[in-house]
Amino acid sequence: MEYKSSGSPVTYVDNLVVPGDVVVDLSSMTNQTIKLGGGLRQDCDAISVMKAGKLRFTKPNKYWVETSQKRYVPCVEDSVLGIVVDSKSDNFLIDIKGPALAFLPVLAFEGGTRRNIPKFEAGTLLYVRVVKANPGMNPELSCTDASGKAAEFGALKDGYMFECSTGLSRMLLSSPTCPVLEALGKKLSFEIAVGLNGRVWVNSNSPSIVIIVANAIMNSESLSGVQQKIMAEKLLQKVQND
Amino acid sequence: MDGRLANRWRLTVNEKKFIETALASNLRIDGRNPLEYRKIIIKFGREDGSSEVQLGQTHVMGFVTGQLVQPYQDRQNEGMLLIFTEFSPMADPSFDPGHPGEYAVELGRIVDRGLRDSRAVDTESLCVLSGKLVWAIRIDLHIVDNGGNLIDAANIAALAALLTFRRPECTLGGDDGQEVIVHPPEEREPLPLIVHHLPVAITFAFLGSEGKLVVDPTHSEEAVMAGRLIATVNANGDICAIQKAGGEGVPQSAIMHCLQLASMCAISITKKINSAVEAYSTERALRKIKRHPTVAGNVSVAGSDVKEQNKTVEQVGGSELSRHHIERLKVVSEETCSSRSNDNDGDIKSSEQGGTSRGESKAMNFLGGPSNWYGASTFQYFF
Repeated sequence: MEYKSSGSPVTYVDNLVVPGDVVVDLSSMTNQTIKLGGGLRQDCDAISVMKAGKLRFTKPNKYWVETSQKRYVPCVEDSVLGIVVDSKSDNFLIDIKGPALAFLPVLAFEGGTRRNIPKFEAGTLLYVRVVKANPGMNPELSCTDASGKAAEFGALKDGYMFECSTGLSRMLLSSPTCPVLEALGKKLSFEIAVGLNGRVWVNSNSPSIVIIVANAIMNSESLSGVQQKIMAEKLLQKVQND
Repeated sequence: MDGRLANRWRLTVNEKKFIETALASNLRIDGRNPLEYRKIIIKFGREDGSSEVQLGQTHVMGFVTGQLVQPYQDRQNEGMLLIFTEFSPMADPSFDPGHPGEYAVELGRIVDRGLRDSRAVDTESLCVLSGKLVWAIRIDLHIVDNGGNLIDAANIAALAALLTFRRPECTLGGDDGQEVIVHPPEEREPLPLIVHHLPVAITFAFLGSEGKLVVDPTHSEEAVMAGRLIATVNANGDICAIQKAGGEGVPQSAIMHCLQLASMCAISITKKINSAVEAYSTERALRKIKRHPTVAGNVSVAGSDVKEQNKTVEQVGGSELSRHHIERLKVVSEETCSSRSNDNDGDIKSSEQGGTSRGESKAMNFLGGPSNWYGASTFQYFF
């Protein structure tokens, strides 16, 4: 394998990287602390890439590789959509598309006590937050925000949930608002919940709006911003003509 | 936690309810009408007899290969048609690697039944030497992605691959007219299979309590459906097979309605398959493959028995193209012939010019190798 002696990591930031790329050379960066996220690893002085994707950097010192995939790798503070699989006396077992089922403690709700444990049947859709994601352990979820408030978390009623890639769900959550949502939002009224694990829930008064929104989002997977806008507008026109 | 439990695909209560309520106003989650088929894309590989079918998100690949084998005792004049399915866990995490699941068996059986019971492929024309040597046509169906309705997609993939498959021409020669000569493709144009008609499988799903009918169900509709009916029909309106396994009971009128819809769908799908195959055939004719006959000097070592033959081929042809395989075997077998003359089949003299000539027993030996399917990429495993 060829060793790339790249001095500054700036050249790689926001660019596509593949496994084996050495993105940061620590020997040239003394007295600095850097934090590594997913997809990177340290070999002595070299920080090399472990999966293909885009290298991201936020100030002051965080590096990670962003990928788009069908499966989700749990990460602390992600808000995700989970499906209840089973309920045990202490935990609900939740499927979050990860390598293992996640635990949602029965007390992890706003004002949760032993007396008011909520009842969820298998197949209930929940909007939850990941609070623990340690390797080798089942991830732990919570239905409250950091201050213990219910915030927006909890069970999602009605509507329609579909799955997409993790890259698409990240795009939907990006700011400024993703073009496809903006274009749709101007004409239609709907509710949406996006989980970083590649699940999107849409709700509206009429099923046809849900179907339009869901399909527009699924189609925008590989489109650029302008293309998304055009696609969404064409779709809306077609529906109005029918 | 059990890994398999985590990998299973799950349907939420929300989805189930939404699919049913939307269908009540004749809407489906991908924007189709209840009786609308998804868009079919048929592609072909570079090799003859390979196809790739996309039906929405569903993605299936089909490969057809042929091999000379001994026929069944009770059907001495008929070739064989074998269907194998491969459900990769990459397509759907719920597919178990290793042993085929219930769905994999059902899919294989439905495709098999549609093709065999309707006698779509002329098996008698696959006979080379009655009772001794026939062509076995093997169809491999690989599920690449599961977006629902795998059966229809796999069936179309099988048909498209069968229509583009070419087998090497075989003639009988020798003194007693019992020697089989397999003509290599560079010498005689390989022959297509005789396919009388195209049995197309159409899947119907019955959803909800009142059994609302939809054509071509998607993955999530399949999870919700109460019952399913698969009708295999051809473009002439003949019903080749019907499968209604378990689930909700269906009145007779609904079945008749399904069959009418199925024959309409079958006509349009048959058209699509035929136009795709035609486009492929014209492209193939234009491609004009340059075929170089093998230089006989390549073979220097002649083995003393059949196992040695294979070895020689390996030594010489490891990196060469697969189509030279037959030619080279011929040269080797010629040379081995002389050394084998004290063997049981000493009656074999030398081969005709340019053709591969073997006695039957030798042919069987040759076929006993680990893999000598003609056609698709399977060849590469051999070398």
